[in-house]
Amino acid sequence: MMNLSKMSFKLNIQKYLMLCVLLLVIIAFSLLTPKFFTYVNLRNVMLQVSLIVITGSAVTLLMISGHFDLSVGSVIAFAGIMHAYISKHIAPTTVSIIIAICLGGLIGFLNGLMVTKLKITPIIATLGTMYAARGLAFIVARADGGANITSGLPLNFENFGRKMIGPVPFPIILMIVVVIIFYYIQTKTNLGRYAYSIGANENTSYLSGVKVERWIILLYLLVGLFAAFCGTILVSRLGSGVPTIGVGFEFDVIIAVVLGGTLISGGEGSVLGMVIGALIVGFVANGLNLLDVQSFYQTVIKGCILLGSIILERGLKKKLV
Amino acid sequence: MNVKTVDACMQKITKKIPAQLLIITGILVLLLIIFSFFSSRFISSRNLLNILRQSSFIIMTGCAVTILMISGNIDLSVGSVAALSGVTMALLAQSGVPLPIAVMGAVGIGLLAGGLNALVVSIFEIPPFIGTLGTMFICRGIALILTDGFTVRDNLPSNYKLLGHGELFGIPFPIWIMLSIIIISVVLQKKSVIGKYSIAIGGNKLAAELSGINVKKMVSIFYLIIGGVVGLTGAVQSSILGVGEPNIGNGFEFDVIIAIILGGTTLDGGEGSVIGMVIGALIVMVIGNGLNLLGVLTFYQSILKGAILVAAVLLDQRMRKQ
Amino acid sequence: MEENIITINNIGKEYPGVQALKDVSFDIKRNTVHCIVGENGAGKSTLIKILAGAQQRSRGEIELNGIPYNPKNTRHAMNSGMSVLFQELNVIDQLTVEENLTLGMEKLRFGFIRKTEHQDRLQEILFSMDKTIKLNHKVSDLSVAQKQVIEITKAIATDSKVIIMDEPTAAITEGEIAKLFAVIKDLRKQDVTVIYISHRLNEIFEIGDYVTVMRDGCMIETRAITEFDGCTEKIDTGTGVVERTVNEETACKALIRMMLGEVVVTRYTPKEIDKTKVALSLKNISNHKLKNISFDLYKGETLGFYGLVGSGKSEIARAIYGVDDISNGEIMLNGKPINLKSPDKAISESISMVPEERRTEGLCTMLNIRENITLMNMSSVSSRGVINKSKERELSTDYISKLQIACRDGNQKTALLSGGNQQKVVLAKCLNSNPSIFLLDEPSRGVDVGAKEEIHNIIRELAKKGVSSIVFSSELPEVMNLCDRIILLYEGEIREVLVNGQNHDFENILHIVTGGSV
Repeated sequence: MMNLSKMSFKLNIQKYLMLCVLLLVIIAFSLLTPKFFTYVNLRNVMLQVSLIVITGSAVTLLMISGHFDLSVGSVIAFAGIMHAYISKHIAPTTVSIIIAICLGGLIGFLNGLMVTKLKITPIIATLGTMYAARGLAFIVARADGGANITSGLPLNFENFGRKMIGPVPFPIILMIVVVIIFYYIQTKTNLGRYAYSIGANENTSYLSGVKVERWIILLYLLVGLFAAFCGTILVSRLGSGVPTIGVGFEFDVIIAVVLGGTLISGGEGSVLGMVIGALIVGFVANGLNLLDVQSFYQTVIKGCILLGSIILERGLKKKLV
Repeated sequence: MNVKTVDACMQKITKKIPAQLLIITGILVLLLIIFSFFSSRFISSRNLLNILRQSSFIIMTGCAVTILMISGNIDLSVGSVAALSGVTMALLAQSGVPLPIAVMGAVGIGLLAGGLNALVVSIFEIPPFIGTLGTMFICRGIALILTDGFTVRDNLPSNYKLLGHGELFGIPFPIWIMLSIIIISVVLQKKSVIGKYSIAIGGNKLAAELSGINVKKMVSIFYLIIGGVVGLTGAVQSSILGVGEPNIGNGFEFDVIIAIILGGTTLDGGEGSVIGMVIGALIVMVIGNGLNLLGVLTFYQSILKGAILVAAVLLDQRMRKQ
Repeated sequence: MEENIITINNIGKEYPGVQALKDVSFDIKRNTVHCIVGENGAGKSTLIKILAGAQQRSRGEIELNGIPYNPKNTRHAMNSGMSVLFQELNVIDQLTVEENLTLGMEKLRFGFIRKTEHQDRLQEILFSMDKTIKLNHKVSDLSVAQKQVIEITKAIATDSKVIIMDEPTAAITEGEIAKLFAVIKDLRKQDVTVIYISHRLNEIFEIGDYVTVMRDGCMIETRAITEFDGCTEKIDTGTGVVERTVNEETACKALIRMMLGEVVVTRYTPKEIDKTKVALSLKNISNHKLKNISFDLYKGETLGFYGLVGSGKSEIARAIYGVDDISNGEIMLNGKPINLKSPDKAISESISMVPEERRTEGLCTMLNIRENITLMNMSSVSSRGVINKSKERELSTDYISKLQIACRDGNQKTALLSGGNQQKVVLAKCLNSNPSIFLLDEPSRGVDVGAKEEIHNIIRELAKKGVSSIVFSSELPEVMNLCDRIILLYEGEIREVLVNGQNHDFENILHIVTGGSV
């Protein structure tokens, strides 16, 4: 029994390791530069992180189930451009947002079908939709007559992404709401439980009567929906529909999720961990920026954080066993 | 020779060549016929050489990555490493280093990156997908830092473009390099322990270990080979462009993976062929080039690429079931 | 010539909560075929794993060729001259025969593989066993038996002095068995000792020289085959060929007696079964493994299926549960035909299954006890997809105390539990789905004696509540202590149906399930 309690103590250390790192990062940069811990700067960081966190919430749940989605970056671009196109030509902004999100959900649904019914490996299936969605985004932009959709957008197009609720930008509010929703799904619902059980052992889950295929399709669908949601926020913030947004976004999301302690093989992970992971990457990038370190170093540091944190985590786990 | 022996001969031949390879070769031939029918420019030797030169990056890198993927691993860093190598070569050349040494520098940087991959995947046992993703960011970042984010184009020696544009017997150097890498890879795959062990590791890792194969060492070697070949690819690419471009090669890793999957290599490992990858790469490039000539927008090609990938995997599954 | 190649001295092995081997000692003589027999759980596989280096013994000594033998891993064991033919064959399907044979031993010139005389020797060894295998065949095209020949060839080529064969005939055809036996008999000439493990007793008498019988982790006896009644050998003085004649009936029965020991059937109490209420009925069910399986399960009855590994027990359970496809036949539930395509459909018809493999099929070991218990029936603790945590905690605490699961609390990860407690979690999970038909595939495998009894009591309690259970087991005492009727299976076929409570000849039962005539 002594041994067991010791073990759980160690497990907790690991769980809070990332939180400590985040606090350290914040304290370090606050000491290094007075510009860091200011309202404007924190707002900017949160704004940058919000998109990763919103998509990442859904992706965390998907990755807990042992699955994977490379198409989120393209879905953002596709949904964004659809939103711009529809609100310009067809429907009012609100309706257009809903349609764009649904279209993103459709791509997610397609991913789910390919993975479950056609048994295509997630990497390949979502790589396929990654190309397809990106291509569609360009075609829609082209159909409007140019590379980007910038003019002729309705007046309220930018509201969604640039609105302020008191001192807080609307996307940050949305981020918080989404995190709460997914934290709730992860901890309190059947869907969350099934995501864990499928990721921990798909065979056992199937034999226990879990409708594995159905839940996996639903998880891909959710990822599609929330990636598309991010797309509409981003174009609204930019004030124009750009088909090239979100290139490499899938990797940023995966980094945040993996940093948050989610295993790539599934069965373990948490939405809040992902939020911490995203914040670490976001704060480090921002802090270095303020210290006048070239933005290029951030790319290197992103890679180093990813590798370093996993090596650290593995080291801890080995010691634990 | 009577009919029966001919039949037997044919059977022998078809048995030796995997069905998947036959089908994709058929598709490639079909594509060539269709496009030459629609566009007279397509079949011109200049255009065909152009296709080959464009394919050379994917094929060169693909040769090395195929061997890695047969062993059941993956490498996402090749695009960034190619960019870093190209930039390194340009910077070295700019500072007055003789061109051959600059090329060697590019290959050396590639080897270093391969070593990093080997370190994280084999020694630290990080899943290849995540480990090489880290390398991808690190290499891209270094390429940007080295160049301040700008293209390296000033003060390059006059012979900088030689590697990419020079010709031998009317055929550009990159194609010669590509051909020699293909030949070396095929020989390595068929005749050396590298090819054999990659199949063994991908087919049954436990059995490979029990047979005394040092799996970690072999996988490290695969990553190092990729590093070297990608370094050379970056050098050739940079020479063709005539500049060192730190932002090049985004998504290149996926192009390579698509060619390899089209060529019949599975993500699980154990099976695959360099020749299949070559044909896979040519299919993607021929479609791109043909549609370009027909005036189809590149955007449609992106969709097509996705569709081809999924179709190829489905085809592969079908074949395996039979 | 009759010197010992292996001496096993007082070895023991403990798993958490279970003593798998207790002071086992015996010798294995050079150039013999030494068989090891015993029921499931007798300790055979543990012994093999220790010999093969896959596991470490807790105590005792082993000598190989007079030298202390302490293999750290399988590779190390192979280098010491001990090769194992595992049931999951360690060949690489994607390579050719030749490539497999030379794997890891290639002779290189500038990194390229070159042909050597070594290869001629390999070919010679291979051909001496099976002439139909061509060196350039792809291994994936070969049969299981041919793959075994390749592994044996490799073992001989690496100068293995001992080859352990674990159930080599489990997955091969009659004709192939004959061929394999010819190979095994030939191995003696190659100065190789064979340790042979099989459930099929007639095989033991055909190729064995010595047999060691194991039971409950102990070595019961080691005996020369010729010492069995009904087993005589004649040596043709002219040719030196040994001719063996075996009266299988008498010899096998003697061996069975040693394997079984006393079967204690004290825990079974006969009960009245209402034969008018048929809960489940299978009619001529056939598929890849099963041949015309038909039986009725009555309400409140505990039915037992007894048979060896590979007799089709799990396949019957999986067919009923909707996991495996049925090619022929009909399943009736309460008189109505049903066609279950997946486990969730079966569960909604209140059929529940405890699968054979606890860790890979029964549990999500990364999850905790509470999460595992409710997995099969989330609606018991949730409404509209939202989990009521306090209800879930209550429910799991309830099961933990009811089934006496030894743990800290419901939040403990199931990976950290002992085998018996893990199995109880699986039982709790299935019970929580309120089954009226309960399928239990090897419910007490790898479980210590105390937990086994507790699990049996749970099944008895269920029967009192009117739940119909089917127990699939390869342990005779288990079915004899639990079941009202026992169906004997052999090779996917029903051989005999016995009513429990009468005096049964256990040796005859074992005789039937090992392939003897009824």
